Formats: sequence, C-alpha cells, structure tokens
Amino acid sequence: MSKFKLGISYVILGIASFFSVFPLYYMISGATNSSIDIVRGRMVPGTYLVENFKALIANQNLGLAMANSFRNAVLMTLFTLVVCSIAGYGFEIYHDKGKDILMNILLLAMMLPFVAILIPLFKMFSSWGLVNSWVAFVLPSVSTPFMIMMFRQAARSFPEEIIDAARIDGLSELQIFFRMFVPTMKSTYGAAMTVTFMNAWNNYLWPKVIFQKNESITMPMLVANLKSGYSVDYGMLMLGVLLCTLPTAIIFLCLQKSFANGIMGAVK
Amino acid sequence: MNKNRKMSTEKRHRLVGWAFLAPAAILIFVFCFFPMFQAILLSLQSGSGDAAKWTGLSNYIRIWKDKTFWQCLFNTFFYFLVQVPIMLILALVLAQILNNPKIKGKGIFRTMIFLPCATSLVSYSMIFKSLFANDGAVNHLLMNLGLTPVNWFSDSWAARVVIVIALVWRWTGYNMVFYLAGLQNIDYSVYEASYIDGANAFQRFFKITIPLLKPTILLTAIMSTSGTLQLFDESVNLTAGGPGKSTMTLAHYIYNISFVETPKFHYAAALSVFILVMVAILSAIQMKVGDKRE
Amino acid sequence: MKGKVISLILAAMMTTALVGGCGTKTDGVTAEEGGNTNEIEKGEVQSETKPAAGSDEAAGNETAEDETLTVWCWDPTFNIYAMQEAEKLYQQEHPNFKLDIQENVYTDIETKLITAAEAGDYSTLPDIFLMQDYSFQKMVTNYPDLFTDLTASGIDFTNFSSGKLADSTVDGKNYGVPFDNGATIMAIRSDIVEEAGFTAEDFKDITWSKLIELGKTVKEKTGLPMLTSSGGAELILQMLQSTGATLVSDGEVYLSGNEALVEAIEVYKELVDTGVMVEYTDWDQYIASMNNGSAAGVVQGCWIMSSIQAAEDQSGKWAIVNMPALDGIEGATNYANCGGSSWAISSNCKNPELAYDFINATFGGSVELYDTLLPNAGVITSYLPAAESSVYQEASEFYGGQKVYADIVDFAGKVPKLDCGAYYSDIRSAITDAATNAVQNDADIVTEIQNAQETVEFNIGG
Repeated sequence: MSKFKLGISYVILGIASFFSVFPLYYMISGATNSSIDIVRGRMVPGTYLVENFKALIANQNLGLAMANSFRNAVLMTLFTLVVCSIAGYGFEIYHDKGKDILMNILLLAMMLPFVAILIPLFKMFSSWGLVNSWVAFVLPSVSTPFMIMMFRQAARSFPEEIIDAARIDGLSELQIFFRMFVPTMKSTYGAAMTVTFMNAWNNYLWPKVIFQKNESITMPMLVANLKSGYSVDYGMLMLGVLLCTLPTAIIFLCLQKSFANGIMGAVK
Repeated sequence: MNKNRKMSTEKRHRLVGWAFLAPAAILIFVFCFFPMFQAILLSLQSGSGDAAKWTGLSNYIRIWKDKTFWQCLFNTFFYFLVQVPIMLILALVLAQILNNPKIKGKGIFRTMIFLPCATSLVSYSMIFKSLFANDGAVNHLLMNLGLTPVNWFSDSWAARVVIVIALVWRWTGYNMVFYLAGLQNIDYSVYEASYIDGANAFQRFFKITIPLLKPTILLTAIMSTSGTLQLFDESVNLTAGGPGKSTMTLAHYIYNISFVETPKFHYAAALSVFILVMVAILSAIQMKVGDKRE
Repeated sequence: MKGKVISLILAAMMTTALVGGCGTKTDGVTAEEGGNTNEIEKGEVQSETKPAAGSDEAAGNETAEDETLTVWCWDPTFNIYAMQEAEKLYQQEHPNFKLDIQENVYTDIETKLITAAEAGDYSTLPDIFLMQDYSFQKMVTNYPDLFTDLTASGIDFTNFSSGKLADSTVDGKNYGVPFDNGATIMAIRSDIVEEAGFTAEDFKDITWSKLIELGKTVKEKTGLPMLTSSGGAELILQMLQSTGATLVSDGEVYLSGNEALVEAIEVYKELVDTGVMVEYTDWDQYIASMNNGSAAGVVQGCWIMSSIQAAEDQSGKWAIVNMPALDGIEGATNYANCGGSSWAISSNCKNPELAYDFINATFGGSVELYDTLLPNAGVITSYLPAAESSVYQEASEFYGGQKVYADIVDFAGKVPKLDCGAYYSDIRSAITDAATNAVQNDADIVTEIQNAQETVEFNIGG
C-alpha cells in the first residue's frame, strides 16, 4: 500500500477519533470545574476535581453504585456468554430446517419494544418473590437473540475439518465446543463480552423497576439522581458521568486486541 | 448396517444441537414470548388494571385515526432509511482501515472510535444540545464558512438531521466492533493475493470484504433495524420529540402514552404489536436476502 | 499475551460472579468489593448502608412494634433532606421511629407506581411517597387504589393554601399533604433595569402589554432581552392559570374558543417576535442565560431561585416581583403556580396511624420544621402558619434586602385554580405543539388551538 493511501487512512482515523473523543474531553473538563464555571461555558480542565469528588460522595453512595454495577454487569456477561455461545454453536453446527425456523422465531424477541413487556415481566417476578434479587435483573436479558445470532454467524466460519478431526480423536460434542470452538473464537467472545458488559452496565429501566432499594443503586441510577433536583450541580454531575463511562471504556481497551488481531490466522 | 449407524450419529448430533440451544431458547420463550403473548391479550382489551374489558380490535382501529402515531412512524422510518446505511458503511470503512496490519496505534484508534457508545447518555445529550444550539459551535462554524446559521432544534427537518448525526456518531464504533471481529475470520492472505492481482482498494472492499463479511453485515443490519424502530434515548433526551412531534420516535410515543400522559396500556400494547409485525417483516426480508449458506 | 488478558478478565469475572452468587444479600458483595476500592469509598460504603442495618435491627426485635416507614422521594439537598429533618424532629417524641428513605428520580416513582398498579401488585410500594403536583390528579383518577384517602386522617388541611391543595384533592377527598411551593415569580435583575431607567418596583402588578413596553426600552438601552424562557408551554400554562381557566371539565375539553388561551399564545408570540423574550430549547442553556446575565429576568416557579442563587457574584442584583397579568381577560391576576409537590400515603402502608401521626406532627403541623428547611435547603412552604414565623420575615441579602420569602408565600395564597382535570400532561403537550407552530412557523393561532383541542379529545377518548 502506498504511503499516500496510508496517509489518507490516518487522516480518516484521526477525524473519526477526534469527534469520538470530544465528549470524553468535555466530561473531564466538566469534572474538574465548578458548576457555575461549566454553566458559563468554561471548556478547559480546572482545579475543582477534589471538591466535586467530595460533593459526589457526600451526596451519593458512589462505592456501592460501582460495586453493584460491576456485579450486575459481570454476572450478566458471564451467563450470557455461556448460554448464547453454546446456543449459537448448536444452531449452526448441527443446523437443520427446524433449527433455522426456530432461530427466525427467536429473532422476533428483539423486535418488541421493552415497554410492552415491562408490566407482564414485573408481574411474573413479583409473583415469584424475586423483586430486588439479581436473578430478576439477569434472567430476562441473559439470552438475547442478537447474541445467539452473533455466535451462530461466527460459527459459520468455523472449519468443519476441525470438528471431524476432533470427533475422530474421540472428543465428545461438548468437549469439541469447549476445547476447539471457544479458544478459536476469541475475537467473537471479546466483542460479545464488551457489548454485553456495556449493555448491562448502562441498562436503566428494568433494574430501576425491579430493584426497589437504595442498596441496589447502579451507576446510571446514580447519574440520574444527580440531575433530579430543582438545581443541578454540573461539576458533580460531570464527574459522575465520567465515572460511569470509564469502566466500559477500560474494559474495551483491555479486550480490543483480542477481537482484532488475526487469531483465526494463527490457528490455521 | 453401515448406513444405519451413520443415520444414528446424525440423529444424535441433531439432538445434541437441540440440547445446546435449549437453555437459551427456553429463556427467550419464558421471558420474552410469554410476556409478549400477554401484551397481545392486553391489546385486545380496554380499561385499566383489573377493570379491563375485552374490546376486540378497537385498539387497532384507533391506530388508523392516530395522527401522532403516523407522524412518529414517519420519523422513525426516516431515521431508519437515512441513518442505518450511513452508519453501517462508515463502520465498515473504519473496520477495513483498522484491519490493515500496516496501521500503527490501532488499539488507541479502536478504543477512541468505540468511546461514543460507552459515553453516558447524559453527557452526550448535553454536548449535542450545546453544539447545535442557536449560538453553538456548529452555527459559528457555518457562519465562518459564509453559510446561514440554522435553528437546529426549532426546525423539523434540522432537528431530524441532528438526531441522525447523533445516532451515527454514537453507534458507528459499536458496529465497527462486530466488523472487526468478523474480519478476523477472513484470512489476510486473501487480501495479499488481491494485491498481486492488482485490485484497487474499492475492488477489494466490494469483492472481498463485503461478500466475506456478509453474515456479520446481516447481523448488524438486523440489530440496527430493531434498534432504530425501538429508538428512544435520542428522541427523549436530545429533542424531547420536538419541535411539536416532528422528531418523536415510536418507542418514545409508546412510553409517553404508558407513563407520561393519561395511561393507555392497552393501546400501547396494540402499537407495540403493530411495530413487532412491521420489524418482523423487515427482518424477514433481510434474512431472505442475507442469510444463505453457500 | 492476548489470550492471557482474556483469561485474566474471565477469571476475574468468575470470582466476582461467585462472590455475587454466594453472598446472600447485597451487603456481602459490598463488603467484598468495597475492599478493592480505596479507603474513602470503603468508609462511605459502610456508613451509607445504614438503611440495611436498620432493617436488620428491626427484624431482630420483631416483638417490639416496628416503627419504620419507607419513603420514596428524590433530591438529597431538598426533599430527602426535608424528610431527614422531619425524621429527627419526630424522633424527639418517638425514639424508636425510623425512616427508610429510598432515593428515586420522580419519573421513576411514577413508572414504578404505574407498573405496580397495572400489575395489580401493591406489595412493593413504600409507605409514603412524594408526587409532583402536576400528575397528582392523573394518578389518583386512573389508579385510586395506589393511594390512601387522608380526609379523615386528622391532618388539618385548612392550613394549606387552597390553590395548592386543589392539586391533590379529587372529588372532595384529600390524597396529598402539600409540601413545597411553586408560586410563580418574576425574578428581575435590578441592576440591568436600572440601567434602562427603571426600578424593580416598576415591574410589580403590571400587565403583559406593560411588560412588553418596558422590555422594549430595556432592550434598546442595554441590548439585553427582558426575559429568558425555556420554550414549550410552561409559561403559557402559567398565564392560563393566572386567569383561573378551566381547560377540562367533566370530560369536556375547553381549548378551542378559550379567549385566555388565544391571548396567552398571542402574548407569547409577541414576546418572542419583539425580542423582549429569548427562547432556549435547552434547559442547561436556559439556566446559563440567567447565570451569565444574558437576560434581565425570568418568569418561573419560585424553585428557580436555587439556580439563580448559584451565581454568587450576582448577589444583591436580583429582585422578586409577581408575574404580569393578561390584558382584557376576565379574572386575570398576577399569580400562578409552576411545579411543587405533595406527600402521599400509599395503600400499602402497613401502619397508617403512624404515618398520619408522623405527617401531622411534621409537614402538616410543625412551623419549627419549616423554619429549619427554609434557610438550609431553600424549601418555601405552602403551610400557611409557617409563613408568619420570623424566619420568613427575614431580609434576603441576595435579593437586595427584600423579604422575598414572605412575598412568595403571599403570592402563593392568591393563586387561582387551573382546572385540567386528570389531563395536565396531555394538555401541556398539545399546547406546546400549538405554541411552537404559532411562534416558529407563524401558523394561525385559532387553527392551532383547534388542532390541540382535537388531539386532547382523541387522547382522552381512549
């Protein structure tokens, strides 16, 4: 590839990155300024971070919200990866007409607005006495057609020879999945992990309805609390928003290599 | 004899397949289809709480007379038709560039481009509102370029454009992640071979990347379809549906008639079922076009 | 290398999941995870999990009567603070009494109430919750089973201003105890209007046409608009309320042909067209326009004062007067209301007698409580006896020595009743559309109001 084309690539990436990073800059600048300075349009990082932090922990239970959000997101990610990847694998590797039809039916599940099933779902969990439990948070969105389909599409590129060879070696079907498929599909798992973690982390409406106690506060709830009053402390709000954004960004930073560095190539 | 044994392994494998997908499928049936079925029943009733009565299709007949609904349907389809293609193509281009082994600092670029979708809604809507304000940065830029400034949030079309820009900004990096993951399944030697054949960047993009990424593109297309038709955050937080109802989405409208205005859950359920049918048709078309095994 | 990162994260997730899975309640997890965070946060976690500890204790001595009430409200510096003060006050006489205050954003309170009511499961409701006045009628009318009728609770409702009380009264029954006041004020930058040759006094008891006249001079002399606005129907609804309009009654919608509504939209349009009022579509910029001094005043519910006071450097430069009245409309006054909230007792309340007594001894009958709340949280009461207390007669430095609180309570007592039935939100949304079209697109006001009428009728009949 010529130097010129490489240059264009950098320019495109540079522009895209600039626009993408701007809000982060805005949050950092906001988190380090006092509320009145932010309202008056100050856009350079200031020296008010410690005061904002003190105000935030005096106003909200930050440690608890972080811990809860992490617990919820981690549990969700873990269960989702296991349940959906094995299902996606099952749909594709052993595909037949019935399974293809079922997949299409399952896809319907992602097409109904959540508001429509909110009340029946709440009714269900409250009749089981599961209000306020993490089980009620996790169960409805552990299995999503989208994740199943993602693993199903990924399994489509999984070489059949590997399966055949493994069967000849006497591995059980479950062993093939765990020992052959899972390690090969790191890129898909990496992407799925990031996306599930992010969705679970940012989920608001359902946790708000199903968790009825202060002790279940999550980061998005904390951010919502910060702007609920008659007057808003923007410095504190921006710090809260920043702290709510960083974990997902960090998870992505750690995982991004896994889903973009030619792992399939290494297998062959 | 031999043939029989082969048949039975195949049968056994099929059963293993069903066992693998059973937990996921059961969860979806219990926590999605069962409530969905209840929503369909709700849509055939009227009245609140326990006092509900069966009223047949009256909620569906009401849809035809509901001007706000048709306005929201139009808005939502506008977002769908304009935003989804722009976003997916942009995501593909970025993924393609970032897949080039010669590019340095990929990790940083990838993370930065992913950032928007991780960004909390609160800060992102604050920023967009101030950028597109009457005396905001965008209008200053337009004036410096000698163009007339736009009242972004008081003009219907301008406000819709702001929503499209916000959506593209927020979700391009997200879709890029799937393409990056999908591109790993394409052997880079295919590209190297194409260099030798003298193919240019466009040819490589259309002849290699797009066909080989087809399963992933289908995945993101279906995701974006359902995402756009359930679009809620931007409509609520950026424009509050306004001016008038000209940027309000269907999901926002359904939320409003459930929780903000005089509650009409049965009607909301009817609208939801209507959307479900519509998205299902759209996705069925996409599946027909995109989901074929070679 | 990459493999290691993944397995490391997976391992970390596994451990957390196991901890989370095994820990019986959130407490276990908090303790585990709190150990990983820094010391400050750890201390915070422990000190703030009090409610949990409290309920454990309560469970421990179950033989004694449980005197804990659960409350849903929002804003730690305002409503939650008020509840905590009320708790302290009540504990003086009832040492075993405890409040378990659950912080919920208002829209979430409404979502949770509606979800519970639609699901027919009231068991998750708290004992007491705070309702915004604008949706009180809607909630009581649609979901009466969520509420407890407080008419015979022993609380003396005559101590509250009648306009405010009307919001939480349905069919002559009281469902709410009024809390904070939302009386409409016109806050004015006295230094700016003085530049134009006026005093803040000149803006008192005037009509909108007079305001536009004065505003034009202010704009000429200082280059600044007289008023800033957040757009939408808020101001128009306040104008309507100042005339005591009836918009919905017995299921009939009275928007079209409503003279006050036509006049209000016309005034609004003139304010914008003449540049006397500047509109911001974004709330944050609206607040900024006050703090930046880019307008000479604002008409809003009195709770806007906490945002105005955030600009400490403007101390002494503000004054509070009543809002202008509409010209030529029967019953027009200089008083309206925007916002404010009331306490409700849920139907799920385990110990209604305790709840009545608690409310009666605090929000429904304690001048002492309101005297604490005003200086510390800026809560302006709608409890009339409190207005006579000395705290309310104190001069405010920020407002140039004006006795603003006494003035506001005085305004509040004169607010006429705006009758929207249970349909405030529907009407507000329809009027916003009409006003936007009339102001932005020069649409015909009468036609727009006719459309609004049809929209509301369609919404109501469903």
